Amino acid sequence: MEVSFRREIESLRLGAGETFHGEGIMAVTKALLQSGVGYVGGYQGAPVSHLMDVLLQAEDLLDELGIHLETCTNEAAAAAMLAASINYPLRGAVTWKSIVGTNVAADALSNLSSAGVQGGALIIVGEDYGEGASVIQERTQAYAVKSSMWLLDPRPELPTIVKMVENGFELSEASSTPVILELRIRACHVFGSFEATDNKGSQHSAANRFAEPARFDYARLSHPPVTFVQEQDKVHRRLPAARAFITEHQLNEHMGPQDGDIGIIVQGGMFNVLNGRLAEAGLSDAYGNLGLPTHVLNVTYPLVPDEITEFCAGKRAVLIVEEGAPDFIEKDIGQILRQADLNTKIHGKDVLPVAGEYSPVAVAKGLSAFLSRYGRNESARLDDWVDAVEAQAQAVAREMTAPLPPRPPTFCTGCPERPVFSAMKMLREETGPVHVAADIGCHAFATFPPFSQGNSILGYGMSLASNAAVSGTQARRPLAVMGDGGFWHNGLLTGVAGAVFNQDDSVLVIFKNGYTSATGVQDVPSSRPHEEGRGRGLDIESALKSLGVGWVRNVRSYSVSTMRKTLKEALGTDEKGPKVIIADGECQLARQRRVRPANARAVVEGKRIVRTRFWVDPDVCTGDHSCIRLSGCPSLTVKPSLDPLKPEPVAHVNNDCVGCGLCGEVSHAAQLCPSFVRIEVIQNPNAWDRFRARLSSALIRLFGGYGAMPVTEAYPAPHAVPAE
Amino acid sequence: MEKSAAPVTVLISALGGEGGGVLAGWIADAGVAEGLHVQRTSIPGVAQRTGATTYYLEILPRPEAKAGSDLAKPVLALNPAPGCVDVLIGTELLETSRMVQAGFSTPDRTLLIGVVRRVFTVAEKAAMGDGRLDPDRLEAIARTFSRSALIGDLDDVAKRAGSHLNAVLLGALAGSGALPIAADRYRDAIRAGGKAVDSNLRGFDAGFAYAENGEDANPTQERVTVPGAGAPIAESWSLYPPEAMPMIQAGSERLAGYQGEQYVALYADRLKRFAGKPGVDAPFMTELARLLAVRMAFEDTIRVAQLKLAAARLEQVRAESKAREADLIDVIEYMKPGPEEILSLLPPGLSRRSMAFLKRRGWDTWSIPMNVKATRFGGFIRLKVLSSLKGWRPRTERYADEQAWIERWLDLVGKTLDHDPPTAREVVSLAGLVKGYSDTYKRGRRNFDLIVSRIIEPGLSGDLPKEAFADAVLNARLAALKDPEGTALDEMIESLWVAIGAKRQAAE
Repeated sequence: MEVSFRREIESLRLGAGETFHGEGIMAVTKALLQSGVGYVGGYQGAPVSHLMDVLLQAEDLLDELGIHLETCTNEAAAAAMLAASINYPLRGAVTWKSIVGTNVAADALSNLSSAGVQGGALIIVGEDYGEGASVIQERTQAYAVKSSMWLLDPRPELPTIVKMVENGFELSEASSTPVILELRIRACHVFGSFEATDNKGSQHSAANRFAEPARFDYARLSHPPVTFVQEQDKVHRRLPAARAFITEHQLNEHMGPQDGDIGIIVQGGMFNVLNGRLAEAGLSDAYGNLGLPTHVLNVTYPLVPDEITEFCAGKRAVLIVEEGAPDFIEKDIGQILRQADLNTKIHGKDVLPVAGEYSPVAVAKGLSAFLSRYGRNESARLDDWVDAVEAQAQAVAREMTAPLPPRPPTFCTGCPERPVFSAMKMLREETGPVHVAADIGCHAFATFPPFSQGNSILGYGMSLASNAAVSGTQARRPLAVMGDGGFWHNGLLTGVAGAVFNQDDSVLVIFKNGYTSATGVQDVPSSRPHEEGRGRGLDIESALKSLGVGWVRNVRSYSVSTMRKTLKEALGTDEKGPKVIIADGECQLARQRRVRPANARAVVEGKRIVRTRFWVDPDVCTGDHSCIRLSGCPSLTVKPSLDPLKPEPVAHVNNDCVGCGLCGEVSHAAQLCPSFVRIEVIQNPNAWDRFRARLSSALIRLFGGYGAMPVTEAYPAPHAVPAE
Repeated sequence: MEKSAAPVTVLISALGGEGGGVLAGWIADAGVAEGLHVQRTSIPGVAQRTGATTYYLEILPRPEAKAGSDLAKPVLALNPAPGCVDVLIGTELLETSRMVQAGFSTPDRTLLIGVVRRVFTVAEKAAMGDGRLDPDRLEAIARTFSRSALIGDLDDVAKRAGSHLNAVLLGALAGSGALPIAADRYRDAIRAGGKAVDSNLRGFDAGFAYAENGEDANPTQERVTVPGAGAPIAESWSLYPPEAMPMIQAGSERLAGYQGEQYVALYADRLKRFAGKPGVDAPFMTELARLLAVRMAFEDTIRVAQLKLAAARLEQVRAESKAREADLIDVIEYMKPGPEEILSLLPPGLSRRSMAFLKRRGWDTWSIPMNVKATRFGGFIRLKVLSSLKGWRPRTERYADEQAWIERWLDLVGKTLDHDPPTAREVVSLAGLVKGYSDTYKRGRRNFDLIVSRIIEPGLSGDLPKEAFADAVLNARLAALKDPEGTALDEMIESLWVAIGAKRQAAE
């Protein structure tokens, strides 16, 4: 795991009267413990990876409280785990990244929400939307609406987030419905504080197990004919119960003055952005003393019609601040007002962006349009501000003359996946391009320069499956790449079993780096077991063979030449069915975290340690940078040339180099140039090392030693300039 | 509505793995210890993998507790708002400029603490020539669009203090006095972090002093120096533009080491042909002298061995490797000469026959990967033998080939000089396309030949209008540097002739 939460975990033990300081996602964890949760699980993914990391590292505390913890293999498994709350009065919480995780979980969620729950079921999703997001931009709200699950979107401050977790379980139980708690990226990572209460153990738990299973009750199954009953129950009993609970416990908040001729209805999660712009307009301040009546929806599904009509009654217009498309809330409110025969005009997507993140500038523009339409002169202040922002952007662009080059994320220094893409790029130059199905994971960085490859991304572990029709319709055999994370998440069955079943003529490269590295280096089933991890060392190769894959090769991922040869062989062999290459190389982040301190200790203890790194000879480098075009390693960069004859910047390996060997492999495999040098620093050399070094330098001296470059004293022999 | 204090806002722009999160944490901890409301957030995500990322803090004094009043909880923003940032900390110039463009530093409000440091983007690094952005321009933007700017080589300050950059930036922030937080609170935050406390405190103090004393008076910068600027100029050189003499000197020195005095005389002979000709001014002569020296010092296997045996190189390696006094260093050279490199050391006739033989057998793609330990006798002696072939070099096929190429190029320069001097300038620069080893070298030769046959020769024969000649050669060279596949060059030539054809048709 990439991040250690040792310090934070102590704060999970805080009790009543103490103040908790920490990250949003940690506050959620603490709130779960305060709610008497019986079981937790999930699948990692930004921005909620830390939730799983913390739970795993806090296993001692969970054991004390009797909480069962499951590292699920995918989100479907996590959603299915909530089945424990269908039959038993047991609170459970699971977490994943949305929208993608919710997509994977959808089948289980539909069945879960149809059957309904006894114990509170809470799904904490990281809404990966807007700046910093890494997935397709869709809203989790759609799932809440179509499956009749309730959606909490709390104001992004710790006390409200904690309250929503606690109330979320109660709401779930009061309405027999699973509840989704949605946190946007910045809310997950926001640091703040709240007043803690004591942790509560669950009545039934891993420590205090149910003696008997639930009695047979057909009504709990999502199976006809009771599915029809459940469908009615959702709308006729659960929905009214939820609305009653929301009103009774004031989950939504009224802020600002009671009355006014215009007002705002805002998603809880968007409140702080709105407040900032209202403050800019002079309609609020840093404490949220609003000058306009505002209805804050900490529950964005379901809406409570009475709350909406009460808020809108007597107002000329309301602005609905609802981020993302489609406008579920705005449509709902329109229907509520129409049915109540209220004439309040609603604005939302007519003045605010229909799609995309509601940044301060986007909100300011919409707010200004709304205010000016209703004769509020505060809009002028917002307009001035927006104008200034845009003027500066243009002024900087003029100064810059060219657009600033983007800086997408890339493979880390020494990453074992980079060499495979180097090999693929060289092969592409040799044999021409093939269709490449990309996947989700660090290897998706190969879609950026300098590799710029991948024809499609269809989801986590879906690459091989996405090549099914491509392989049947292409002259040249297509390639699919997949990480070991994607393999265990989905690729094993959806991809490999399907390709064997159909004898698809496809090539799959599996990156066996040992972890789901993109999400923060979490363990996967094939991770090697070690002190902190949950890996079981499941073997990918035997899994493949037992599924009937006939052509499997294991290649060390740094061996570029071998990888290129193996890829070529896979793309050309007569073997039927899928061909699989396992690119074996441990995630360098994880490796360095382990190796670096160990080596530092060993050096201090006087043990012989050989440290390697690469170096580019600036005199030999000709400044063409083809090595960079085949690598893109962050530690392989350029520096100013000190040679007046060759002013172009030369390649340069900086001190971050971990000596993975790729530079040397590439310069051999691509016959690049002889400027690459591996430096081996023998620390604490032994007697044999010292003897050999002495012997070599004596012999070298004997044969003339290293040469100094001869330097001429003045200009060359003068030549008369012909007088033409 | 009662107006209350606005929060102080701090935005940190960093690259993944630089410790921006730790920096934000220190500031927040110090602020909390100071009794302030502090909120911080970030959007790390996959940007942690060396991409650009930001951290945002809002800091607000706690209102004086009035008897019986609820201490109000502030609503701090999670997103920085353009034009509303009090302190922008940037660890890298391009990313800092990006923040400035987004409005996160403004002349009315923002203290910009920036590092004069570039981490090049892949696009900049991978360019076939110099793709780097102009750092002065980036720095100027940061200075123009900030209330005050504390911009300097804080990375160097960190290195000298033996610390990480983020600790130095924390010190600079504390020293700037922009936040209502006492210096010791920051120090306490570093101590509470419990990691690398001593070096971080050193860095903090260095950054603090830097902010207090202002920017470095003498920034240390690597500069390209042209040697020999002060050497006496013999009378017979006096007709050459004096500004070109340092480059001629540098070229002569290079070739003296490369082959010997006689070879330098050949260099001088070749330059002489152009001295005093109309259109040959100092920049022309400088560029010609530079590229002629580079082409004459072509990188054959002998040259590579020669360079790898330079004593100065080992010292460079030792310094670069950060090895301690007692450590031993081995230098392993990655060389992979193919048959062309090896056989081109034979005399022309023999070399061509052997190459043809290998081609017939399909053996011409074979090559020998060698990892030569230059620091061990076994490796040293192999390099020594190779480099001692220097005297043999003038008899090799490669030498003959290179000299013929140089003569052809100089001939084209001479002809275009008579025909159209501005074009001659571009023909000189064209030699810059030929560089590198194996495929890179072959690609350069191919591009050069293509430009000669499709642009220069038609230009000289009058097929290509004179007014379009110089631009065509320049654009062709730039296109050749755009992509290694040569697509841009092919397209450029194609569209050039289409345009000329259309013009002719219109004229007829």
